Amino acid sequence: MHIANDILPQRPPERQGKELTLAGIHKRYGDSIALPDVDLTVARGEFCTLLGASGSGKTTLLKIIAGFESPDAGVVKIGGRDVTHTPIADRNIGMVFQNYALFPHMSVFENVAFALRMRRQNEEDIRRRVQDALDLVSLAPLQDRKPGALSGGQQQRVALARALVFTPDILLMDEPLGALDKNLRQSIQLQLRRLHQELGLTVVFVTHDQEEAMNLSDRIVILEQGRIVEAGSPESLYRKPASAFVAGFLGECNFLPANDGVLGVRPEHLRLGSRLAGADLRHAGKVVASTFCGVHWKVFIEAFDKVILAYAPLDVESAQRTPGQAVTWGFHPADAMEFANAA
Amino acid sequence: MTTSTDALTLPVASVRPAAASRRGRVAALAALPLLLFLLLFFAGPIAGLLGNGFKGEDGGLTLAHYRHLLDTPIYRIVLVNTFTIAAAVTVACVVLSYPLAYLMATVSPTVARVVFFAVLLPFWSSALVRTSAWIALLGKNGPLNTLLTTVGILDQPMAFLYNFTGVMVGMTHVLMPFVVLPLYASFRSLDGSLVQAAQGLGAGSAGIFSRVILPLTSPGAVAGGIIVFMNAVGYYITPSLMGGPAQRMAAELISHNITEELNWGLASALAGVLLATVLLSLWLFNRLFGLNSLISASSGKGTNTSGYRRTPGGRVSVMLGVACALFLLLPIVVVIPMSFGTTEFPIFPPPSYGLRWYENFFTDGKWLAALASSTRIAIVVTLLATVLGTAAALGVSRLAKRHQGWLDAFFIVPMSVPAIVTAVALYYLFAPIGWVANSMAVILGHTVLAAPYVYITMRAALRSLDPSLELAALSMGASWPTMFRLVMLPALIPSLIGGAVFAFVSSFDDVVMALFLTTIRNRTLPKLMFEGLANDFDPTVISASCLLVGATALILLANLLISRKKEH
Repeated sequence: MHIANDILPQRPPERQGKELTLAGIHKRYGDSIALPDVDLTVARGEFCTLLGASGSGKTTLLKIIAGFESPDAGVVKIGGRDVTHTPIADRNIGMVFQNYALFPHMSVFENVAFALRMRRQNEEDIRRRVQDALDLVSLAPLQDRKPGALSGGQQQRVALARALVFTPDILLMDEPLGALDKNLRQSIQLQLRRLHQELGLTVVFVTHDQEEAMNLSDRIVILEQGRIVEAGSPESLYRKPASAFVAGFLGECNFLPANDGVLGVRPEHLRLGSRLAGADLRHAGKVVASTFCGVHWKVFIEAFDKVILAYAPLDVESAQRTPGQAVTWGFHPADAMEFANAA
Repeated sequence: MTTSTDALTLPVASVRPAAASRRGRVAALAALPLLLFLLLFFAGPIAGLLGNGFKGEDGGLTLAHYRHLLDTPIYRIVLVNTFTIAAAVTVACVVLSYPLAYLMATVSPTVARVVFFAVLLPFWSSALVRTSAWIALLGKNGPLNTLLTTVGILDQPMAFLYNFTGVMVGMTHVLMPFVVLPLYASFRSLDGSLVQAAQGLGAGSAGIFSRVILPLTSPGAVAGGIIVFMNAVGYYITPSLMGGPAQRMAAELISHNITEELNWGLASALAGVLLATVLLSLWLFNRLFGLNSLISASSGKGTNTSGYRRTPGGRVSVMLGVACALFLLLPIVVVIPMSFGTTEFPIFPPPSYGLRWYENFFTDGKWLAALASSTRIAIVVTLLATVLGTAAALGVSRLAKRHQGWLDAFFIVPMSVPAIVTAVALYYLFAPIGWVANSMAVILGHTVLAAPYVYITMRAALRSLDPSLELAALSMGASWPTMFRLVMLPALIPSLIGGAVFAFVSSFDDVVMALFLTTIRNRTLPKLMFEGLANDFDPTVISASCLLVGATALILLANLLISRKKEH
């Protein structure tokens, strides 16, 4: 799936990332197969997230792209060039580690300058580019500090600057926001999105947090036990998932028994009592609990021998969210997603 | 260090593509020098020594020597003594260490630093220094007897030396830190809220100790206990200096058989028994904890769980802990005024003060010569041990996990084998070719002792290196040598210095190897001090001890200040 270049603003050619292709990647550790056979293409300038639970193989895949591991079979191509057996240092890939991996004995400036020194740039260029990179993440005033004297969020931004300063072909990020608190995470997510759009990078981002994946990505690739279950834009994966597994993975989804398979209905499409419209399918149930969530009420309803979750608007009648009360609930048939099997 | 260490990092195993793993295999060769060194100068000689134990007069294989050990009452008694005393010392060390470790783990960081100093200063002072301090303290005219007779508890001075009491006190004092440190680590990792939970559920102090604290800290106690037992069984200097004939232990008997009876067969049999005991203890330790735990980096800077009110039992323990800390520190401190006495024989309190015996140390040729000899030897040993140990640590860390295990074990064993066994084995090999007279033998012997310390220190340092730093540098275009120089080396230098200091101190302080592997011309300072204690009680020994304690205290303080600066 390509992002059409004429939709996004023009950017200077030397700043565009390259295309990444993985073909037939197979990786085993001893007796266990981490990746049976993975094919994946990430277009130039695309923000692609590898989303999955622990052990799904997403980090292994990332390491193969970076060159930290080599695949037992398969080909890795960056910008059309086969890099499967190219050493790490020659791949021109920027990497942001989960624990940042900042060199503790070097200042922020030296950390960011490291890649440029390895590329034998002259001092003038190094100073200018490090300054630009630190300005990008708003950390220029702290350039003489050591990583130990920085907060988690600041360290994370230094790691980002360090990975960007040498305009890599591809930027890899391994759950980089995991150690940050929620507010900080959201603010850095916004910054990442802006940077991606400004610089036109190709980004491969690994996370287990589906909300984060939806916030950041052009495309989400869902991994489970080393296989790609489904890939697509956040909206298409959310609205039209191909399987019950994906439906339940992104956001909340209720699964109701149907004649041949299951029906998936999202909580925001369920209506209660008087809100039901004419064409809606109706069911009976009993309220088990309800919680106030600021934007809406979460109402838990017992029906079909399980607990159904519905989002009710703020002005819902109190009777319809009181535990113990019987309630009629339903949804428009068009909002239901049909799946052949349960997840 | 500084970046968060509890997040998922890339695993260490097989993190490199094919080209680099070839480099890894080549780098593993760095472990070869130390391996060969230990085979030549440790395993080989000891095998030769043990072989003697099985050689009869006719040259054939026989168990006669071992049978002689069990049949002859005097040897049987010595063997029984050895194990009994070692066991008693082990129990005493564990019992005394509990309140002290509890104290160290539960006070504020500032106070803890002071207590640490009290534990580490004796630990780093040589066993000979501590033994000489105790001899000065416990003598008929020493401070303890003077105090007890003056206060009226005793009518006349009691014999604390040259009997079981002397040996127990001396060996417990020397070996206690080996339990205190692992026990402290256990206490540190004890979740303080468990004690609160037990209190909330109605447990009294005794209940809390027996049901919560004891089970959870026993690994530290058992680990320390095994280490103490291993050391005590082969101990030479303290039993021979502070014990009487009824406390003769195996190491002394080995020495006697070699230097006086010239009965190598019997001495080798005794050495065999000691070696078997030590290897058994090591095997037990490995089964229970894995030898890895000796290598693992312990920082002891965990979360501070204090701030809750102590139980009554806790308060008693704190008082006992302070008493134990004083027990560790006092001899060294009390000995200082004694060193300024001017009488022919050390008395407390000294009737007159002066620098007589310090002057003697710096003017009497034999003391200065010994000091020079010790320093010369220690410097060579430090260089040798640091290079061999560091290279080995680097090499082994590049190997696959399954190969690391037995190499770790082999490189640690020289540290655990009683020094007397190694010393005697090297003497057997090198005396005939004149290497004892030219200090080669003692240098090799000390290196065998010191290299494991460096190895362990560097292995721990390499273990605690964040592997993603290496990958980060590589991914930004650094070649492996550049990455090593710019990223790994700066992180390793503190441990390198620490290991080198370890090596220097262990060479400088060694007595047993010096006793066998030097002559009167190149004898080391500890050997001279030993002779000064064994034959007569030359007060210069006390002054020399105080000088050494002073130097040790300076090193410790320097280390304390440097690590304080790092925290800011």
